[in-house]
Amino acid sequence: MRRVALLLGKDIRTLGRMPALALALVAYPLVIALVVGLVVRYAGERPRVALVDEKGSLPGLLVVGETRFDVKSRFDQATEVDLVPMSLAQAERELDTGRVVAALIVPPDFITKLRGLRESPTLVLRTTRGGLGTRVVEKMRSLVYSTNLELQQSYIDANLAAVDLLLRGGSGTIGRTPFTLLGIRRAREQLRALERAPDPEVAARARELDTFMGQLQGAVGQVGSFLRATANPIELVQEEQAGRTWLLSAQVQGYALALALAFVTVLLGAGALVAEREENVLGRLARGLAGLGQLVAEKVTFVALVGTALGFVLAVVFGIIVEVGDVSGGEPWLRLPLLLVGLVLAAVAFGSFGVLIGALAREAATATLVAFLVALPLTLLALVPAGSIAAAEWIGALFPFGHAQTALSAALYDERPAGTLVRQGAWLVGLGLAYGTAARVAARRLLG
Amino acid sequence: MPEVLLSARRVARRFGRRVVLEPIDLDLAEGEVVALGGPNGAGKSTLIAILAGALAPSGGDVAAAEPTRVGWMPQQPALYSRLTPRENLELFARLAGLAAPEAAVGRALEAVGLAEEERRAAELSVGNVQRLNLAIGLLGEPHVLLLDEPTASLDVAQRQRLWLLVDGLRAAGGAVLFATHNLEEARRTADRLLVLQDGRAVYAGPPGDYREESA
Repeated sequence: MRRVALLLGKDIRTLGRMPALALALVAYPLVIALVVGLVVRYAGERPRVALVDEKGSLPGLLVVGETRFDVKSRFDQATEVDLVPMSLAQAERELDTGRVVAALIVPPDFITKLRGLRESPTLVLRTTRGGLGTRVVEKMRSLVYSTNLELQQSYIDANLAAVDLLLRGGSGTIGRTPFTLLGIRRAREQLRALERAPDPEVAARARELDTFMGQLQGAVGQVGSFLRATANPIELVQEEQAGRTWLLSAQVQGYALALALAFVTVLLGAGALVAEREENVLGRLARGLAGLGQLVAEKVTFVALVGTALGFVLAVVFGIIVEVGDVSGGEPWLRLPLLLVGLVLAAVAFGSFGVLIGALAREAATATLVAFLVALPLTLLALVPAGSIAAAEWIGALFPFGHAQTALSAALYDERPAGTLVRQGAWLVGLGLAYGTAARVAARRLLG
Repeated sequence: MPEVLLSARRVARRFGRRVVLEPIDLDLAEGEVVALGGPNGAGKSTLIAILAGALAPSGGDVAAAEPTRVGWMPQQPALYSRLTPRENLELFARLAGLAAPEAAVGRALEAVGLAEEERRAAELSVGNVQRLNLAIGLLGEPHVLLLDEPTASLDVAQRQRLWLLVDGLRAAGGAVLFATHNLEEARRTADRLLVLQDGRAVYAGPPGDYREESA
């Protein structure tokens, strides 16, 4: 242990004297986190869709009763997709070249059908067979659904105004034709006056009519509620809140931590052992100063320390941004000790893998290149969805990335993280031991 | 009869199928300085590394009389380039478990004239790096000193300092084995000369009797 500690002190001191490397170790994970965040952000970004309305059929203003509804403006301000007006020919060109992912074509009779309300107007969505096709259809359905909902609300409001006019009486218009209604309430007042008429037959008829009008008034009074209820049997109410941004979402935070940790520790581990060989000191150490096992253990410890510190700093930076941004839910600061456990286990497993690469490569440039070439596909392999390709799943399971990502996400956000942490922690410890043992065996090659 | 401090019996070394050192015997006795000659690739550095315990032999044994301490100065400097001379020496002294590491470091730095040097090893001249390389070999005041081409990068003054150090160790009853390409240096300093060629010993005897053609 004393010798491991002495070499560890030397490595930490050496790292402090390499400002470029130290800076890269801090900047690299932040850049990775940013890039990952951008990738994830794209998933929520508005796809670019061509809007083809060559006859100007999208109504700028649709008057429904007393409500004015601007369909064109609603489409212009759509949050679901980025609708870009263009001609049909241009839309087809851009669809071919992939500059737009779909084209929304407004037929010439759209406005007529919408105003006539005898037949539903149609919109044509033309998509490609690319990977984004399904997503853009979902986005467009969402846009049409929300527009329909707003239109429906306008029609309901217009109907309610008509019902109110029927109850209270007053002036209104149908199209451009003005009219005046007596209204149920005033009709009943007049009927009650007739009930006091000296002619008993007139009075009896008036009472009979008033009873009917009373029933009618009650029924019409319920129409508003029925209209709303039948229009939206189940209504989804959207409430906006200051949720996590793309950069800080739980999944991205766990993913970015694991990715940054994987690259830094594997690359550093690959270089750390080889650096001893390039300093030509392995022979000196072999003279009873430090055995190969101690050297491998020291390198894994060094890499794990640097990786853990780096991951922890990254998590704290994320947390500060969350707090400064007043993000709903805040950063789970109480989970940081648990996160630290996950970081240590992951860093040890990644570090052992890196040291093994260094021992096999024997030379710094080769070790670094091999570490990069191996780490990238293995990291991506762990992202293959479970159950899709069995071989990829198995190979991915033998690399620490998937286990680390699951463990770190669980440590931060799972309601009950213990089970996942123990399971993934056992994987990480097992992989760390296996890679460390292999590195110890391979390190003999360095002495030759 | 001087006591043998370090003894090699039929030590040999192969790297894969390539034989770099045929089985060879060598004794280093008290008060003895032995020069190790031969062309490049003859096996000199391999033999010295095996004697130092830095390289395991493929065959044969190396034995040191108790409590002989062996110091080693490899041909290529073996040190940490981002540490200063003092930091390098302190690290190796502590790794070796020396009882008073600070004092040992001070003596080693004085011996090579680097006591005032504060720069990192990477910033030193080639000659000064070689002096630091020697200083690490001197840590713990060894009885046997194994030097692999020690004068290759040293100026005249530093060479004189080195030979004075060798003379001092010989006078104190220690032993020195040094590899060299310089036959004049061997004749002037060594008591015995061992010449290797293609991994085999081709001459062993007084340096003065050795002629190139005798190999």
